[in-house]
Amino acid sequence: MSGAVIEVADLVVRYGTATALDRVALTVGAGEMVALIGPNGAGKTSLVNAVLGLLRPASGRVRLSGRAGLVPEGRQMFDDLTVEDNLALGAWRRRGRGARDTAPVYRALPRLAELRGRRAGTLSGGEQQMVAFGRALMAAPDVVVVDELSLGLAPLVTADLAGHLRALNAERGVAVLLIEQNARLALDLCGRGYVLEAGRIRAEGTAAELAAGPAVLDAYLGGRAGGTEGSGS
Amino acid sequence: MTTAARAAVAAVAAVALIVPLLLTESQVSVYVLLLLSATVAIGLSMLMGYAGQVSLGQASFTMIGGYTAALTAVHGAPTWLGLLAAPLAAAAAAAVVGVPLLRLRGHQLAFATLAVQLILLNLVGRQDWTGGDIGLQGVPRLRIAGYEFATEVSYAYLALAALGLVALVTRHIVTSRPGRGLRALATSEVAAASSGVPVAAYKQAVFALSAGFAGLAGGIYAYYIGYVAPGSFPVLLSIEYVVMVVVGGAGTIAGAVAGATAITLLVQLLNDVGTREGMPASAPAVLSYAVYGLLLVLAMLFLPRGLVPSALALRDRRPVPKPRPAESEDRPPAPAPTQRQP
Amino acid sequence: MSAFVQYLISGIAVGCGFALLAGGLVTIHRVTRVVNFAQGMFAVVGGMTAGSLLARGLPHGAAEAAAVAVTGAVGLAVGLAATGRRGTDARAALIVTLGVGFLAYAVEIMIWGDGPRSHEGIGGAVTLAGAHIQKQSFLVIGVTAAVFALLALFFGRTYLGKALSACASNPYAARAVGIDVVRMGLVAFALGGALGGIAGVLLVPLQPVSYDSDVLLITNGFAAAVLGGLDRPGVALAGALTLGVAEAMVAGYGEASYQTVVALGLMLAIMTWRASRRSALQEEAAR
Repeated sequence: MSGAVIEVADLVVRYGTATALDRVALTVGAGEMVALIGPNGAGKTSLVNAVLGLLRPASGRVRLSGRAGLVPEGRQMFDDLTVEDNLALGAWRRRGRGARDTAPVYRALPRLAELRGRRAGTLSGGEQQMVAFGRALMAAPDVVVVDELSLGLAPLVTADLAGHLRALNAERGVAVLLIEQNARLALDLCGRGYVLEAGRIRAEGTAAELAAGPAVLDAYLGGRAGGTEGSGS
Repeated sequence: MTTAARAAVAAVAAVALIVPLLLTESQVSVYVLLLLSATVAIGLSMLMGYAGQVSLGQASFTMIGGYTAALTAVHGAPTWLGLLAAPLAAAAAAAVVGVPLLRLRGHQLAFATLAVQLILLNLVGRQDWTGGDIGLQGVPRLRIAGYEFATEVSYAYLALAALGLVALVTRHIVTSRPGRGLRALATSEVAAASSGVPVAAYKQAVFALSAGFAGLAGGIYAYYIGYVAPGSFPVLLSIEYVVMVVVGGAGTIAGAVAGATAITLLVQLLNDVGTREGMPASAPAVLSYAVYGLLLVLAMLFLPRGLVPSALALRDRRPVPKPRPAESEDRPPAPAPTQRQP
Repeated sequence: MSAFVQYLISGIAVGCGFALLAGGLVTIHRVTRVVNFAQGMFAVVGGMTAGSLLARGLPHGAAEAAAVAVTGAVGLAVGLAATGRRGTDARAALIVTLGVGFLAYAVEIMIWGDGPRSHEGIGGAVTLAGAHIQKQSFLVIGVTAAVFALLALFFGRTYLGKALSACASNPYAARAVGIDVVRMGLVAFALGGALGGIAGVLLVPLQPVSYDSDVLLITNGFAAAVLGGLDRPGVALAGALTLGVAEAMVAGYGEASYQTVVALGLMLAIMTWRASRRSALQEEAAR
């Protein structure tokens, strides 16, 4: 597909002898919102790490055009640093001092302005997820990759973050790859999606198609463990 | 144990038994020291590989064993009794210092064991009854049931018997039920504790046992060399034990023996080359430090899991699995509990 | 009283040297999780290099600065050996630094021989509250204070410093925002090398060093650093000063030969006391 921000083809990731991802193909077009759903241990985080170049795949092709901002699983705060510093470091890949200006993020996410001097490790889960989101924005991304938006968060907080994500996509045309266990939430937000199970793409299609298909029903009902992955999802 | 492994062990044992008869006297003395180092290394390997604790002061226990043997003998006690007392004294000392020390973890424990050795060296060097810095001279030869261990070769067999005993005890422990608990302990103390492994007691036991092994080696050393002094058990010796374990591969008996063999032979070789005629006075030191340092670096960079595990992997023609997958390597545990969606 | 002041100040000065070494250990460990056993070697190389440069006629200041630059480069080289190759875990890296330390012995003996060496610092002494104190002691204290203040500024105020803290705090997230964690580790090693070099340059006029003085230096630096779990520079500083003063007091009022025993015993006591308090707290939290 031309104009894609993320293109993954034939991706294989192994840990020792365990295969975490087996010939996975996935595309995210410019300005598109795409869901990747699947149970714990399906290989979702391996896919994220491969896309962001954080791990070296055994084989296959990963192409990322432009910059990606990651909202990692478990928020992954720099606990000892302030919210302000957490945000500023999100701009590490960009050149120039102006890139580190956090004011636009505070305008987009006003709640963070109140927390700017707090140490990130002392924040609540929802606040941390907000910081993680803001940190991803600091990369001035062409695509935001969200690894588990709802995990461990109260429904209201999740809804708030989902709203921000939608706004980011609608107003600035930033593409989104949303990795979720909560299939309903993911398919509500995104137009298109993939179902990943046990390291393989089990289904793909529009949100409507997937919601009606058997693959998603499985993932919904929960957590058939994939089991092939070496560690974590 | 597979048939192949059994055969390998039998072959090594046979070679080990024959070797002393083929060597010259000075070579046998290297062999004895090698066996004694391996005896200590097995205990340390168990401590590091199973209980997950690093001791940078293991030579303290060799020292306690050596002094126990020397002191009892100098004061006229039968030497066989001293040989029994040496491992017991070392194990008892470890059990006592282990109570406060094993509350510490990781680097703090490593430092604490190092500190204990430095303190011990300092104190022993200042007491009259230990002979101060000069140490205790004239330790009699070991005599058991009327047989006097007088020759180099007799000590080779004695050290071999000690190594065999220590290897058997370790193997028995490792394959027993507590051994599996220990393995869990090395991976995660919390997980081990929550699955009912008495963590503190096991750590204490392994620490004391590894000290006992070192004490046994120290006791034999005292009778063999005939004197003990603080200078015989420097901090560098403790570090050498750790190096032997890591180079050989922590957590395996074969690794400890291989590491002890490799390091002892290397140090000996470097000594021989450096002291040849025509070498400048500083040559032995320069040469041995340079080669020893370089080999350590290279061994760790290219065989980070140690000689034995790497060799096994090579034999099985499969890549050595990384200790931890790249993905989880540097990721802290996710703080959030998983919420099941309805 | 005058003796007390003299022991106190000279103890603080020596403690400052330990603090600089401990600061290097902490900086490196925070970013790379590697315990750098070559840290004492940096001080030896720094002190001896400064001495050689002074002997060649370089003025004070320039010689010391050049020596510190050299140890920074040595630190970088140690870092490359210990962390430059993929798949070297922290324990293997520790042994690598140990190996580099032995290699350095060989180089040091070839260049400087195996005897102790020293060089002149700022000479002279001042009299304070009746105590006779070497000016060099004040220099050591002043420079150390300045270095720690600069370090605090560097980690707290600069982007690079924050990136280093980020690697220490969460390496995964650091990589995710594009920070090259391995390269940051090398920065930490270079910084650690420079800190060790500063310690050596300052301490050598107070006490001569030989190639194997690194054992004593690393032991004291390690003792101080490990007090804060090798991650907290402030605790390491406090620990180092405690060590230095305790050793000076024992040497002054008691017997010099027991100074190591007392200082190490003190460190052990503090550490186990803190550990027992911590586990008691954990038990309460679990209830």
